[in-house]
Amino acid sequence: MTAVTVTETKAAPIRFRGVRDSGLIAGRNLRVLRKNPGRMLYPLVQPLVLLVMQVSVFGNLALAGHAAGAAGVSYREFLIPGIIIQNAALTAPVTGLSLLRDAGSGLADRFRSLPMSRAAVLGGRLASDAVVFTTQAVLLLALAAPLGFRVRSGLPGMVAIAGVAVAFGLSIAVLSAWLALLINDAETAERTLYFPAIAIAFISSAFAPVRDLAGWMQPIARVNPVTAAASVIRAIAYGGGLGFPLLEFACWVAGLILIPGFLAARRWQAPD
Amino acid sequence: MDDPTPAIDVSGVHKAFGQVKALNGVDLAVAPGSLTALLGPNGAGKTTLVRIIATLSRADAGNVRVLGFDVVAQPRQVRERIGLTGQFAGLDDALSGRDNLILIGRLAGLRRRTAAGRAGELAATFGLTDASSRLVKTYSGGMRRRLDLAASLMTRPALLVLDEPTTGLDPASRQQLWTELGELRAAGTTMLLTTQYLEEADRFADFVYVLNQGTVIASGTAAQLKARARTGSLDEAFLALTATEGSPS
Repeated sequence: MTAVTVTETKAAPIRFRGVRDSGLIAGRNLRVLRKNPGRMLYPLVQPLVLLVMQVSVFGNLALAGHAAGAAGVSYREFLIPGIIIQNAALTAPVTGLSLLRDAGSGLADRFRSLPMSRAAVLGGRLASDAVVFTTQAVLLLALAAPLGFRVRSGLPGMVAIAGVAVAFGLSIAVLSAWLALLINDAETAERTLYFPAIAIAFISSAFAPVRDLAGWMQPIARVNPVTAAASVIRAIAYGGGLGFPLLEFACWVAGLILIPGFLAARRWQAPD
Repeated sequence: MDDPTPAIDVSGVHKAFGQVKALNGVDLAVAPGSLTALLGPNGAGKTTLVRIIATLSRADAGNVRVLGFDVVAQPRQVRERIGLTGQFAGLDDALSGRDNLILIGRLAGLRRRTAAGRAGELAATFGLTDASSRLVKTYSGGMRRRLDLAASLMTRPALLVLDEPTTGLDPASRQQLWTELGELRAAGTTMLLTTQYLEEADRFADFVYVLNQGTVIASGTAAQLKARARTGSLDEAFLALTATEGSPS
C-alpha cells in the first residue's frame, strides 16, 4: 500500500458532541447569511419597514378613555409592543423553511452519513436563528424609541423586552420547524406557514385590546401566546401587573419548545 | 483468493416503498481493498442499496454489516468509517469550497486545525485550490463532483461508497475522476460504486454485481460476465443478462 504523506486524520474523542456540532451548524448558518446578505433583508429590514408604516398610519389614533389608554399610555405606545411580537411571529417561518431547504438537498444525506450529533441540524438552526431574532429585536427597539416607545424601566427593561421577543420568536420557530418537516415540501411550506403567523398576530391583543376585537376572536385572543407576550412587554415598559402574563408566556414558550421540538427532532432523524 | 471478512456484507435484504418493491432479497459481498461496481438499469434498486449500506435508509428485512459493524445496531461506528458520495452533491452551495470541506471534516470529528490542513491538501489533490474560496454555486458540474468526493475523503475513510459518481460529467471530467479513484484504490481504499457506464465497470472494477428489479442476477469479474453471455462487450452481456434472467420472482 502506498501511503501518501498527509495530515493525520484520527478523530479525537469529543465531549459534549451535541453542543459542539450544534455550534458548528450554527456557525455555518451564520456564515451563509454573511456570504448571502440578501437573505437578511426579510428578517432584519422588513420588520423595520412594518414598524415605521404601522406606527405612522395607526399611531395617531386616539383611544382616550379606552381600555388601551386606561393605563395612561397612548395608542402608539400600546401598538409598538404588538408590532415587535408580530415581527417575531412573521420571522419564525424562516426557521422551518431553512430547515426544509437543508432536508431537501444532498447536504441532508451528507449530514446523516456523518457520525455527528443527530440533533445538531435542528439545534444549530435554532441557535443561529436566536442570533437573527436578537438582532431583529435590537434594531426594532432602536427604531421604536424615536417613534415614541418610552420604556419606563430603562435599559434593563429594554434588555428584558428583547429577551421576551427572542423567546417568543424561538418558540414559534420550533413550531414552524416541526410543521415544515411535516409538510415536507418547500413550496407548499412557503405558501402555508405564513398564514398562521399572520392569524395569530391579528387574533390577539397585538393591535387592539381583546375587548375591542370581533366577538368570535376574543376567546382565541385571550389564550393566544401573542397576547401573553405583548402583555409582558407592556407590563415591562409601562408598569402594571406582570405576574400572570409572565407565567402564561413562560408556559407557552416551554410547551412550544419542548413538544414540537421533540417531534421535529424525531422527524429529522427518521430513516426512510 | 482467500476470503477475509468482507468490507460490506449484505444478506437477504428486502426493502419496499409502499407497494413498490425496491429490493427483493439481495446478497452481496465486497472484498476489502477491492473496487466493486454495482450495475443495473434505472430503477434496479442500486441507490436504495447504497443508502441502506450508508445508514441513510433502513432495510425491511435482512442484515447489512459494514467493516464488521451492523448498520442498524451500530450506525455511528459505520458512519465513522465510511465516506459517501451520493447522486446529489452533499455540499452547501452558499458556502465556499474550503468552508464546505472544513465544516464536513469537523462534523466528522476532526479538530479545526486538522480539518483546515486536510482541506488544503484535498483541494490541491483535486485541482480546486484556486477555486476553494469561491462559493460552490459558481462551480461547474465537474468541480462540484470533485469537491463532493474530496469532502467524502476528509477523514480518510476505509470504505468509500459512490452513487453514480461520474453521471452527468463530460469525458474529460470523468477521466480525471477515474484517475483520482484509481489513486485511492492504490492507497488501499475499498470502494463500492454504482454506475450506468458499463465501460467504466469493465475497465476499473475488480468485481461486478448486476442488479435488476431488486435482485442480483449476475456477479463476477467483467471478463466472467462477458464469457457467460458469450460476447466481447459488457454492454451486450448486460443487455443479455437483464433480458433473459430478469424478473424471476
